[in-house]
Amino acid sequence: MAAGRSTRPVTIVTGFLGSGKTTLLGGVLSEPSMSNTAVLVNEFGEVGLDHHLLRRVDERAVLLGNGCVCCTTREDLVDALLELLDLDQRGEIPRLDRVVVETTGLADPAPILHTVFVDPVLQHHFSVDLVLTTVDAVNGDLHLDRNPESVKQIAAADKIVVTKTDAAGPEAVRGLISRLGAINPSARVFEAAFGEMDAGELFRQDGAVSHAAARATAVEPHDVGETHSVSLTFDGAVDWAAFGIWLSMLLHTRGEDVLRVKGLLDVGKAGPVVVNGVQHTIHPPEHLDRWPDEDHRSRIVLITKEIRPEELLGSLEAFGGLLGARPSPLGAGHVVPSQ
Amino acid sequence: MCVLCGQDFVAQVHWTDRHLEDRARAAAPGSDPVAYQGDRRRDRAHRVVLTNEILCHYGLKLDDWGGSKYVIRDRKGRSEIVQDLGSLWPAAERLAGRALDPLDPTLRQVLADERALPVAGGG
Repeated sequence: MAAGRSTRPVTIVTGFLGSGKTTLLGGVLSEPSMSNTAVLVNEFGEVGLDHHLLRRVDERAVLLGNGCVCCTTREDLVDALLELLDLDQRGEIPRLDRVVVETTGLADPAPILHTVFVDPVLQHHFSVDLVLTTVDAVNGDLHLDRNPESVKQIAAADKIVVTKTDAAGPEAVRGLISRLGAINPSARVFEAAFGEMDAGELFRQDGAVSHAAARATAVEPHDVGETHSVSLTFDGAVDWAAFGIWLSMLLHTRGEDVLRVKGLLDVGKAGPVVVNGVQHTIHPPEHLDRWPDEDHRSRIVLITKEIRPEELLGSLEAFGGLLGARPSPLGAGHVVPSQ
Repeated sequence: MCVLCGQDFVAQVHWTDRHLEDRARAAAPGSDPVAYQGDRRRDRAHRVVLTNEILCHYGLKLDDWGGSKYVIRDRKGRSEIVQDLGSLWPAAERLAGRALDPLDPTLRQVLADERALPVAGGG
């Protein structure tokens, strides 16, 4: 009863085949602070994870009505999370601090988010706090060129870990990091040589500050192949109802081309609204009491496929009468920061 | 569906309604329900006005239905009941017979022209 509204954080670890997800987890989970973490994996890989709360889940996806891939419910995940919840509430396992879901290399993380947000029980007990994506410094460029799935994984990420930096040259690493920044300007990028990474750093919830990242890395609209990203702001407070109309309309018609929406929106209240969405799946927007920093402007990053930034800006401009503010690209003239 | 009030139970709150839902849940027992309901009604009415500014270009119209649902109608008298913005757009697409795309250059042009020529008493 006393648990009230507290939800257990779920961290999604994704990354392309062989990009070092399990190695990274193996290192991080051995730290004492992570002992009350349950891990759900899709397959037991060659690198064994030695952890007492390890569960294997077989990917069972249930495609819903309109057949859109990102709006599928992962039944296997529902069952596994409900079982963990049951064990936790009966007190049969130590208090559950966190659940880590490791996806297969080919998985699209959107259905996992969708599953947690939509399930009538899970939505009250779990919340997705962050999506971690691993990228292999040696083969990362190749994966990004050839596999649209890996671009989706980067777009969905809140934090990106570049692994195997020990095996690639510093030039290659720098090039990859700047490419990642161009695809997803809102994500924080870390480097992990030999799969070593500080758990605190990786799993720390940056809260609203992480959503403000758009400002720090604001760059000109970027085009990487067919993926475009744009950081934008508004010249005043935005009508939240109107923004909801615009975004829900966009997601209905062009949802599969919108890989990511993330940022803070000034709605004319004391604090901003945190907007965070991966494809069709929007995190429950959080209305904050105050701004996380001094900058009180809206800042939103949109990562799209096929849709050009000019189209998005033009559309927001046309909706300006409803929104009550006009959009403008953020930080034009900046270059991609090289961390 | 509840047989007494004809309302179905909504397990899934659309993200655009979340701020209202969260406030309702956060409200302490014994707090004034009327204040919250007033805001909720005002919010819904505001959303209907804004949505109609877009829907009118497709020959559609939205109304609030009893403060719990919305009804979308076309000019032939066909109508659908929708729960939230998530189910509104598919219904609008069915009634209009085409996709409602905010990136559509024609729609953008029409909206831009409207802004350039503010019509008195339009809202």
